[in-house]
Amino acid sequence: MRRLFTAAMVALLAAIGTAGAQTIVRVQGYGGQDPAIVQRLIDEVIGADLAAQGITINYEPIETDYNTVLVNSLSAGTAGDVFYVPGETAPGFIATGKLLALEDLVDTSAFIDTLNAVFSKDGHVYGIAKDFNTLAVFYNEDLFDAAGVAYPNADDDWTSFADKLARVAALDPGVYGACIAADTARLGAFAFANGWTTFGADGGVDLTSPAFAEAFDFYSGLVTSGAAAQPADLGAGWPGDCLAREQAAVAIEGAWILGFLRDNAPNLQYGATFLPKSPTTGLSGNYLYTVAWAVNADSKVRDAAVKVLEALTSPAAQQFILEQGLAIPSRKELADNPYFSQDSAEARANKVVFEGASHGNVYGFQFGTIGTDYMGPINNALTAVMTGSVGSGAALSQAQSDLTALLQRAAP
Amino acid sequence: MSVSAIGTGAAAILARERWEARRRWSRAALAYLVMLLFSLVFLGPLLFAALSSVKTDPLAYPPKLLSPQLSPANWAAAASLGRQGAGAPLWGGFAPGAAVTFELTYFVPDGLTAEAPSANVPRRRPGGGLGAVQRITYAADYAEVGDVVEVARRAADGGELVTYRVQVGYPGAGPTIDRLPLDVQSPSREQRFVSSTLPPTRLERLGLVASYETITPGALGYLLGNYRRVFTEARSVTTGQSLFLRWTSNTFVYAFFRVLITLAIATTAGYALARLRFPGRNLVFLLVLFAQMVPTQVLFVSNYLVLRDGIWGLSSLWGQATLLNGLPGLLFVTALNAGPVFIMKQFFESLPREVEESAMIDGAGYWSRFSRIVLPMARPALGALVILAFQGAWNDFFWPLVILTTPEDVKTLPIGLLTFRNVYGNSGDWGLILAGAILSALPVIVLFVVFQRYFMEGVSYGGGKE
Repeated sequence: MRRLFTAAMVALLAAIGTAGAQTIVRVQGYGGQDPAIVQRLIDEVIGADLAAQGITINYEPIETDYNTVLVNSLSAGTAGDVFYVPGETAPGFIATGKLLALEDLVDTSAFIDTLNAVFSKDGHVYGIAKDFNTLAVFYNEDLFDAAGVAYPNADDDWTSFADKLARVAALDPGVYGACIAADTARLGAFAFANGWTTFGADGGVDLTSPAFAEAFDFYSGLVTSGAAAQPADLGAGWPGDCLAREQAAVAIEGAWILGFLRDNAPNLQYGATFLPKSPTTGLSGNYLYTVAWAVNADSKVRDAAVKVLEALTSPAAQQFILEQGLAIPSRKELADNPYFSQDSAEARANKVVFEGASHGNVYGFQFGTIGTDYMGPINNALTAVMTGSVGSGAALSQAQSDLTALLQRAAP
Repeated sequence: MSVSAIGTGAAAILARERWEARRRWSRAALAYLVMLLFSLVFLGPLLFAALSSVKTDPLAYPPKLLSPQLSPANWAAAASLGRQGAGAPLWGGFAPGAAVTFELTYFVPDGLTAEAPSANVPRRRPGGGLGAVQRITYAADYAEVGDVVEVARRAADGGELVTYRVQVGYPGAGPTIDRLPLDVQSPSREQRFVSSTLPPTRLERLGLVASYETITPGALGYLLGNYRRVFTEARSVTTGQSLFLRWTSNTFVYAFFRVLITLAIATTAGYALARLRFPGRNLVFLLVLFAQMVPTQVLFVSNYLVLRDGIWGLSSLWGQATLLNGLPGLLFVTALNAGPVFIMKQFFESLPREVEESAMIDGAGYWSRFSRIVLPMARPALGALVILAFQGAWNDFFWPLVILTTPEDVKTLPIGLLTFRNVYGNSGDWGLILAGAILSALPVIVLFVVFQRYFMEGVSYGGGKE
């Protein structure tokens, strides 16, 4: 009896001992699919190694608006030790001083430079991109074949691209050349091609410059000329939907469209190519959409948190995510991964999106500290012009004054 | 003269009566019409959601009321295919030894030679939703597709209708697989797809490819495919259990305890405030009223922090460092509610005092008066309270959203549905979301139908507020 008791006590003490040795690192990220992805990463790739170091990951998904929750939890002191920082809101979060500078703790040179730039300020790197996306032209080969039009390709400029779309649209009244939304997140890439930047050298915004106005006219002109339609006009939620239903021959999206097409149009014969070039500069432009892992500067388990961040962005983890077709890796070395040379539409499209990061004028999808509010006035102008209620000149000067007012209000 | 006058008088009365009868009828008809219109406006969306929850693509535009899933002929075909696939006419599947025969009919216009279409079982991984993240077994790794052979041919207007048959077998041993997808590609767009044993999930590439999510669904699997996925596809990553079942049981447990606690507190506190004389009684009542007037949103940050620290560290006495992510914490903030106390106080005050006085004469103390006299008399109010508390707990969104965040297993249904929306909404998979929503609405609908009377009384006691 006494022996049994002693054994039980020893077992209990051992259990307490191991439990005490574990450092729990709280990780905050998106809800939806991400909890399952992170769990699989832990189970299959990084978990055993971390457990050996006495680290346990506790993933806390945020199902509602992520940025709002992160702002609240950072200011309340309840934020996780490691968390996602979306590129578009990164400057705002970096400005709070709540993110740990990582350049001395992590080897940042292994990651794509333009991605590091998205999370950098004054020479410090505050986030390690977990994956990224760029825009590409996704096209339905059948519709182009039926219209007898050559597929879009990397040599197209805006004029030849618009011409191809118009000829596909002439095929049938129910079919459009492209499906495009009144969205700065697409228009901006074309303006970049023309040499325009989100903020000018003086920190201001110039929407009335010829570089921006030309891109604006090209993009909205696709709809006003009838070559393209807005998703809502086709009863679709977003351009990917129009492409899947074969109502439009082209959608300008990132690799996030691939999973959607796999489910909703598994037999669609599609291709992907780079965005068309500006006829003025001969270059194309692109947005980098990315989300980083960052470490809480106030974390009580900082060393363990950095180890978790390293594990989550390790080559093994990124290889796994890529091979599952879930996201595109942010490590330079994975550019030569055999996955990209597979003979499938999906792998080819992923390669175009991956290479988009270094093709022409590419900038992060971010808007200084005011975040995505920046897009509001431009989206309104696009909607107004696309529906034909205003001319582009008037719409742009309205957007310019709205945006200037917005920036002035946000200025400290 | 007089006879005819009487006659006219009687005729006038008759005419008037008829007119009044007509007016009564037209009034009744109008009232019913208005009620019908209202019920259509209120129930229409629910009905449409229920009908759409069985569709493959609930967003299909233009929207249709009926879908192939609602046709009995397709149920029969699906049952027979399910039997061929796995000996399971209800839920289908693809099991070793299966031999599935599937037929497709094409229209071949005059002047074109009919050619057999090509069929294959694709190796298709889900692109969105939780399915994309989970490991799955592919039917393509086990299926053997036979030759596509012509089995019938008949004349049609301007051409011929040619029927082809394809056999898909499962030789050897292996696991039973849920779905057997099939793609059948016509040799040309002129040879047009007309029909098949089961309608295709979608016609792709401008009509060239008929694509089937599964050709062995079984009758129920065909009709309730989305509902089945609600249970099978959404699984906890840690335990592998069905998340939806887990959420449902969490919600039941939460609702049960919340009803219990509400009843206990509302009856005792309500009775004390209505009948007992003690110093500070008015102050207590004022506080109760005040607590009811403060919106949850004002208190939630402080309540959240209290729960996060386990009520100032009190909860670590029983081994919980925090009360977040658990039912006790949720019950702690939601079940202590002033509304029901107020309702019960008002109800107890409306009971005749004489009944209790006569019991007092017989020597009954407070407790026996409360438990033996007053509570049995309060049954209608208690019924209403139970139903309102249950309904409130079942549909509660705000507090569970704040408190139950991780892991997925601790959530309740409304929060779980939000997760579904985040997971499946992005991939356009609204069928599954609708099916989950309909399932989560069912208990409250059943409760309403069974206890309609109490609902109405509850509303009249509580003025609609729980």
